Formats: sequence, structure tokens, C-alpha cells
Amino acid sequence: MTSKDTVPFGATAGSHRKQNAAPRRWRAAAMVSAALLMLGVSGLAVRAADPIKVGILLSLSGNFAENGQQTLTGLKMYFDKVGNTAGGRPLQLIVEDTQSRPDTAVTKARKLVQSDGVSVLTGIVSSGEALAVNAYSRDSKTPLVLSGDAGVDELTMPGPLQNPYMVRITQNGRSVASAAAEWAYKKGWRKVVTIGSDYAGGIDTNFSFAQAFCKFGGKVIQAEWPPVGSADFGPYLTNLDRSADAVVVFEPGADGLRLARQYSEFGLKDKLPIMDIYAGMVFESNLPQLGDATVGMYSSLFYTPMLKSPENQAFVAEFQKRMHALPNNEGPNGYVGAHAIVDAIDALHGDISDKMKFMAALRAIKFDSPKGPISLDKYGQVIQTQYIRQVQMVDGKPSNVPIASYPNVDQFWPFTLAELQSFKYGYKESKDSLTDCTHLLAKK
Amino acid sequence: MTTRLGSIAVAVAALGLLVALPAFAREYSVALATKMLIFALFAMSLDLLLGYTGLASLGHAAYFGVAAYTVALLVVRAGVSSGLAFPAALAAAAVTGAVFAPLALRARGSYFLMITFALSQVVWSVAFGWRTLTNGDDGMPDVVRPNFGFSLDNTASFYYFTLAVVGVATVVLVAIVRSPFGRALRGIRESESRMQALGFDVWRYQYVAFVLSAAFAGVAGALYAYYNRFVGPEYLYVIQSAEALIMVILGGAGTLIGPAIGAGLIVFLEDFISSLTQHWVLVLGVIYVVVTLFAPRGLIGLVNDFRRRGAK
Amino acid sequence: MTWVIHILNGVAFGMLLFLLAAGLSLIYGLMKILNLTHGSFYLVGGYIGLTVMQVTGSFVLALIAAVLAVALLGAVIERFFLRRFHLDELPQTLVTFGFLFIFSDLSLWIWGGNPLMLNVPHIFQGSLPMGYYAYPYYRLFLIAVGLLVAGGLWWFQERTRLGTMLRAGVDDAEIARALGINVSLLFTLVFAVGAGLAALAGVLAGPVLSLYPGADFEVLIFAFVVVVIGGLGSLRGALAGALLVGILDDFGKAFFPQFALFTVFVPMAVILVMRPTGLFGRQ
Repeated sequence: MTSKDTVPFGATAGSHRKQNAAPRRWRAAAMVSAALLMLGVSGLAVRAADPIKVGILLSLSGNFAENGQQTLTGLKMYFDKVGNTAGGRPLQLIVEDTQSRPDTAVTKARKLVQSDGVSVLTGIVSSGEALAVNAYSRDSKTPLVLSGDAGVDELTMPGPLQNPYMVRITQNGRSVASAAAEWAYKKGWRKVVTIGSDYAGGIDTNFSFAQAFCKFGGKVIQAEWPPVGSADFGPYLTNLDRSADAVVVFEPGADGLRLARQYSEFGLKDKLPIMDIYAGMVFESNLPQLGDATVGMYSSLFYTPMLKSPENQAFVAEFQKRMHALPNNEGPNGYVGAHAIVDAIDALHGDISDKMKFMAALRAIKFDSPKGPISLDKYGQVIQTQYIRQVQMVDGKPSNVPIASYPNVDQFWPFTLAELQSFKYGYKESKDSLTDCTHLLAKK
Repeated sequence: MTTRLGSIAVAVAALGLLVALPAFAREYSVALATKMLIFALFAMSLDLLLGYTGLASLGHAAYFGVAAYTVALLVVRAGVSSGLAFPAALAAAAVTGAVFAPLALRARGSYFLMITFALSQVVWSVAFGWRTLTNGDDGMPDVVRPNFGFSLDNTASFYYFTLAVVGVATVVLVAIVRSPFGRALRGIRESESRMQALGFDVWRYQYVAFVLSAAFAGVAGALYAYYNRFVGPEYLYVIQSAEALIMVILGGAGTLIGPAIGAGLIVFLEDFISSLTQHWVLVLGVIYVVVTLFAPRGLIGLVNDFRRRGAK
Repeated sequence: MTWVIHILNGVAFGMLLFLLAAGLSLIYGLMKILNLTHGSFYLVGGYIGLTVMQVTGSFVLALIAAVLAVALLGAVIERFFLRRFHLDELPQTLVTFGFLFIFSDLSLWIWGGNPLMLNVPHIFQGSLPMGYYAYPYYRLFLIAVGLLVAGGLWWFQERTRLGTMLRAGVDDAEIARALGINVSLLFTLVFAVGAGLAALAGVLAGPVLSLYPGADFEVLIFAFVVVVIGGLGSLRGALAGALLVGILDDFGKAFFPQFALFTVFVPMAVILVMRPTGLFGRQ
């Protein structure tokens, strides 16, 4: 009998390795056992009951690392402000890196809930992660306060994704896009070109813009969809329909920075004005890098560090101390998320064992924040102020100066929920029909 | 004879430990062990190509992902029973492999690597771009786990289900690599021309190995869809393919236990280190470099070296 | 006129790809290393250039510093981490993958996660008016640099003694060694030159494409596509592949926008199925 017959996992290549297979397997098995033991022993850790544990899920490595870091800073700023206590109980923050992957986000959510025993989850940068963790939160009945960028509309609309254990205090795509559409129409623009990053977030946002713009009386005459990570916008810029009144853009991250520089280099800055939904081109960290290339560009967002309210000025001063940079939308979102969690725990005097009561307390929050006044609708989505900003030189530095504001915008505006539900086509069926108002406003 | 008894003892002990795990480990550890098992199968499936046949694929996520998406589409979109979706997913992965294999097998070495990569990127683009079907990059939540008369919704029961499936798949893989067919594959890896001269239809062996490898990757992909109850285009992306390659190389190509250990270790380390430090990517990179310096044939190679030294 | 702009766009992007792909291809041709760290050389080079430019204000100094620093880094990696695994693909892959991880995290640590852009050097600011549009001078400069490097590499390979050794080494390292060529030194040198070219691409791309976490991996994929389309180990192939990919990418996006995700990968798959060793690769 050759020893090969006893090798359960198959022999290795060279014939010399076939002999004496057992000791090799001993070691292999020892390694497996050691790994398993590590898993097991860690299960003996004792759970402390007293503090309330808050699980924070953010991308801290990879492509969204900066978004995660800024949100985390915002969260910590508010928790520090209240001395890391709420309702008379200490708060313990446990941070996990989702690695910008939905499957990892779910794994980490599981870990926070099952192994660390957190009472509430917060954070989450991408919509894919939000959808995956939302399902986990619903199935495991774990309260989830979305305080990261994830802006997919359907999460807080009545429908299959609805989750009584989730609230979102950040934004949804439609509100930001609709404010841009309303302002654009008032400005006198009637025909615009849209450029949208070709992924779910970009398509939804530009669809929402086009739908609202049609309702007001305008029209999208050309819709361009550069893939995520487009190195060169040359082909799109060269193809722009020159009869447009303006160009409406959704391009986050490095794509936005590139487009801003290339737009001015191709000599278009003074010919076609820009409305930048979500401010990917005129992101705070982009402005100092682009000189005067962005001056004059308009953008739509629910925040700008230039807001004059005392809440915001205090926030900006502290944020700059911690990050040595001006906050984008993420810092204030984290800050408001932490505020919401603390207020809800306070309202229940620290007893959040009844999860439905805790969710009711979350939905009842109402306070002034760096973003402006904050409250939630009955679906758990934030109602807040939307701002139109323009890049202007302030003290010699390009800055996003607020030039118009829309207070108390809810997630459906300028439509009602009933109107939205009566439309025949949604986001998914409309990517190729943005220029067709009849399609966008068709009823069932 | 003692050797044989010893190895049986080890196998029984390891199996016993795996079976008993939910009894003493906490819930999250069991969930993580489930993920380790799934990726162990994924890595072993790739090794059938890389280690046994000598074809390095950088597109293995395609079959993993196609199976995961098949499960999600059938369960979420078509309302098919989740248990039936499982064999369908396996078939879908095998068919994808059967279609891609003739294209990929025209090339060798680095070109094979890149053509498998290109083909998998095409599949990724479809999942990413065809939103009406797949939800694009938002992915599809709410994949229901199968119910075979007992629920798989709790962590321990799904762990046992995974253990059973991965166990059966491993037994089949072992049977394959130890069969005359498996020996022929190893012969092809060492020298295609020699095997050709000996009268073997090399292309057909490679083709069958490719399809089998895709099918086993599909089993892992379907399990992963159930495990997360979610699928997204990340499952199909080149990073997933590259990670599988790294698992195989780190553990030791050309064995089945090696890639399984490599996969388990990487899943464990990614989880463990990323909880300790934001700079887990750096730590993992250093581990890859250091392991290679000391164990160029993978961890299993290191074990081999110890054994050889011990035998002297 | 828009046609001219489209072609210029494609060629400018293609030239950046050529700088990346040339090094990758040379390294593979000589040492058979599929260098996954190549994208890191690009990104780290770009970041070093950015810092030097911020401190000194000189684009030329930024180019020199980045190229030298990264070439040295490349030489160290080749000498101490790759040499020992000569012609052993799997450990080489794992080592270069490890360094890809290491450099990506270190650069995130040092330069942060926001996308960063180099300033366009003073003399190339502004644009050439072309009808309704204007074409940035800097892109014309990129095309010129690309052509210059291509010419220089060709001259080096065909007309210098070192180039002859290189060609001999690519053909057969054993015979080259037997002929008394110091193959070991040649390896380190070529690896360093390849790394330096990637750094050059990183600095040159900085003002157009910007630098950010993940750019290392993105350009690595593009460079692989170029090299494989052109044929591994062939400079001519790298140039042809780079121009083809650059122009395909531009025209695909402009004229077949609904297939923008496929513009690069489908042609690559088709070319490989037709010619399994690329356009100029050895059969």
C-alpha cells in the first residue's frame, strides 16, 4: 500500500512529497485546530451590561476611506461633546471597517451585533452597503441610524425595502436633485445637458433631476453617462450639445475633480454654466487645488461650511481643529447621526431595551444642527434644508457660498408620495429616456 | 500502519472539531467559520485549474458570481424555491465555464490569465450595467435561504449545511484529483507536449478541468449568496478573482488542503486585523511578503520542509 | 474639428498608457515577472512628484525626484525580494501583490484619501482654441513626451550595447549569460527603468487624471490590457496597444456610449481569441 492512498486531500506534485504524508497532515490539522480554537476561546469573553454600545460601520480603507474618516470625525465630535454619555449611561463606540464592500459590511454588522452586543448600528457610506445592512437590520431587529452618504431613495419609501428599525438622517438623492431643478428653472434655464456617473446613484439622481425639471417646464436635451472612474472626460465634453443653457452634473470622487479641471481646460467654463448636484466637482478638498477653474459654478447640497448659523460656526471650528480641512457633507452627517442617537437615548432615560420605543424616539427627534433644522418624516427619512451654493472668492479663497435655500424639504418634493407612486416608469426603466418628458411624467 | 492510523486520527479529530464548533464557539465565530469554509471551497476549485492543471485564472469570480446571481435572480425575481435554485446555480456556473473555456484555452500562461480576466470583466459589466435585471451596483438583498424541512436561518444550522456541502464537494474533489483523470491533469501541468505524445487529448482534459473548476466555484458562490442573503457585482469583480489566487498561492498550489488553509487564514486575518487597526491592508501586505520569503511554496510547502528536515 | 479632438484625446491618453505599459512589458520580456506593483510605482511616483512640486514649485524637479526615487525603490524590490524567485511565477505574484497592498496603505496614510491634482506647469497652462472648443496645451505636451520616450527606448534597444544585451536577454537569458552578459545587473537595471517610467507616467498624469487611493489598481488593469493586446515583452506592441486602447476608449465612449463599460474588455477578449499572444507577441 502506498502512503498516497492515505492522503485524504490528495498528494502534492513531486513524487518525493508523497512519502511520509502523515506528519505534514498533522501540522496542517494543527493549524486548522489552532484557528478554530482562537475562534472558540474568544467566545468566552464576558459581556458588560452597563454601557450602551454603538456600532459604527464605515469604509476606512480603500476608495471611500476619506468619506468614512470624515463621517467618523463628525460622529466622534458629537459623542465627545456630550461626554460620551446619554440618558445617564456611558456610550461605548466600536468602529469596524467595511472595506467599501457590501458583503464585508454585513459580516461586520453581524460581528458588532452578535459578538460585541451593540444596541444600535450607524454609519455606512455606499448605497450597496446600506441595502445589504438594511436587510440585516430588519431581519435581526437591530436599530440602524444611517449617518453615511448612502442616498438611495427606495430605502425610506414604502415598498419592499421598508424597515421599521432604520432611520436615515443624511439625505436622499431626490431632494438634492429636485432643489437643483427648481432653482435651475427659476434661473431661466430651459434646456440642459446632464452628465451622470454611470452607476445606480448617478442614474437615480439625474433621473430625479430630469423628472422634477420636466414638471417645472424644462427639458433635458442630452444625457451623458461616463462610466465610474472615467479618466478622461474629453469624449463627453467634445460631444456636448452646444445649444444647452447649462450642464447639470453628478460626478462624485476623483471623477468630479477631473471633470472640473478638464471642463475649464476645454474652454467650456465661461460658455456653459455648471449645476453640480451633490457637489462632486466643487467638493471642499477640490477647491484649493483648482485655482479659479471652479469660480462661478453652482451646486446643490444640504450643507456648506459657509453657513453663518452659530451651530455651524462652532462645528466648523472644531472640525478644522481635528481634520485640518473644511468639512464636506460627511462630517455634519456623522455629527447629526450621533446627535439623533444621543437624543433618542436621552428621551428614554437610557432604557433602550424596547427597540420599538427606541425607534419611535429616534423618529421624534427635532433639533438645530450645523446643516440647519432637522426632523424626520414617518418613514424615517430626514426633513431638512437644501442649499444652492456658488463658488465665489471669499478672503482670496474659492468657497461654496449659499445663494438660495429651501427649508423643510422632504424626500418626495416637488412631488407627493401618491404622485410618485402613480408614475409609470421608475429609475431603472428610464436611464435611456431622460430627454423624454412624456416618458418621465407618464402615469400608470 | 501507524502512519495510516495517525492520519485517520487527525482527520477524525479535525472533523470532530468542525462538527462540535457551534457547541463551544460563540455565534459570530460560527458565522466566520462558515465564511472560511465557503472560501476554502472557492480556493480549492481554483486550484483544480492552477495547481493541478497549471492554468492560472484571473477570472474565477465569474463562476462564483454567476452562481450567486442565479440564486438571487431565481429566488428574488422569479420566486423559485431557494432549494431548487441551488442546482440551477451550479449548472449556470458550469455552463458559463463551458462557454468560456474554448476561448480561454486558446491562450497559455499570462495570456490565459488575462483572457480569463477579460471574460470575467464582461460578466461583471453585465451585472453592473443591466439594472432592470440585477439592480446594478446596488445589488440584490433578500435572498432567502433554502428550507429542506428545517430552517437554515440560524447561524448554527447554516453552518452545518455549509459544512455538509463543502464536505461533500471536498470528497468529490479528492476523488477527482486522485483518479486517473487527476493524474493526467498533473501530467499536463508538467509537460503538455509529453502528454500529447503519449496520446492524451490534452485540450479535452483541460476543458473538463475548466468546467469542473467553474462548477465547484459555483457551489461556493451559491453558498455565499445564501450566507450574506445578498449579492452584488463585487462578487464578480477582479479583486475577488485576485483574492482567490492569493489564497491558493499563500496556502500552497497543487494540494487541496493548502488552498483551504490559505482561504481560511485570509478570511480570518482580514476580519481579525481589520478590527484591530485601520491599517490592516498594510499588515496583510507585509504578511504576504514575509510568508513568501519564508515559504515560497505556500504554507503547505513550509510544512513539507519541516517534515523533510525532521525525516533526516 | 471634433474628430481631431477625439483623436488627440485618444492619443494623449494612449501615451500615458504607453509609459506604464513599456516598463511592464520590458520587465516581463526579460524576467517573466508579471509585476503587480507597477500600479503602485505609478501612484507613489505621482504622489512624490506632487509633494516635491508643492515644496519647490518646479515641475521638472518633481519629475526627476519621482523618477529617481521610484527607480531606486524598484531596484531594491527586484534585488532583495524578487531575484530569489527567478522564473518562479507564483511566489513572484504573491510578493508583488503584497507590495501593492503595502504601498496602497502607506500612500493612503501619507497623502490621505482625497483625490489630489498636480498643477499644470506654467508654460503649458491654457488651451489651443479649436472652434467652439479649446485643446489644452498640456495634453499636446503629453503626446510629445510619449513620442520622445518611445523614440528613446527604440534607440536604446536597437542602437546601444546595453540594448543589444537586453534583446539577447529577452531572447534567451541562459545564452546571454553564457555570452558573458551580466544578466543580474541587467535585470535590476531594467526593473528600475520600468519603475521609473511608471513614476514618470504618474507625475505626468497628475494634472489630468489626479491621484487617489485605488488609482494604482485602475491603471494596473489598463496597463495589463495594453501589454496583452500588444504582446508581452514587445515595445512595439506596447506602443500599438496603448494607442489602440486610448483611441478605442475615447471613440467607444463618444460614439457607443451605451457600451462604455465594454469598450476595452470586449476588444481585448476578441484580440486574444484571434491572436492568443497579442498583436506583436511571439507565438
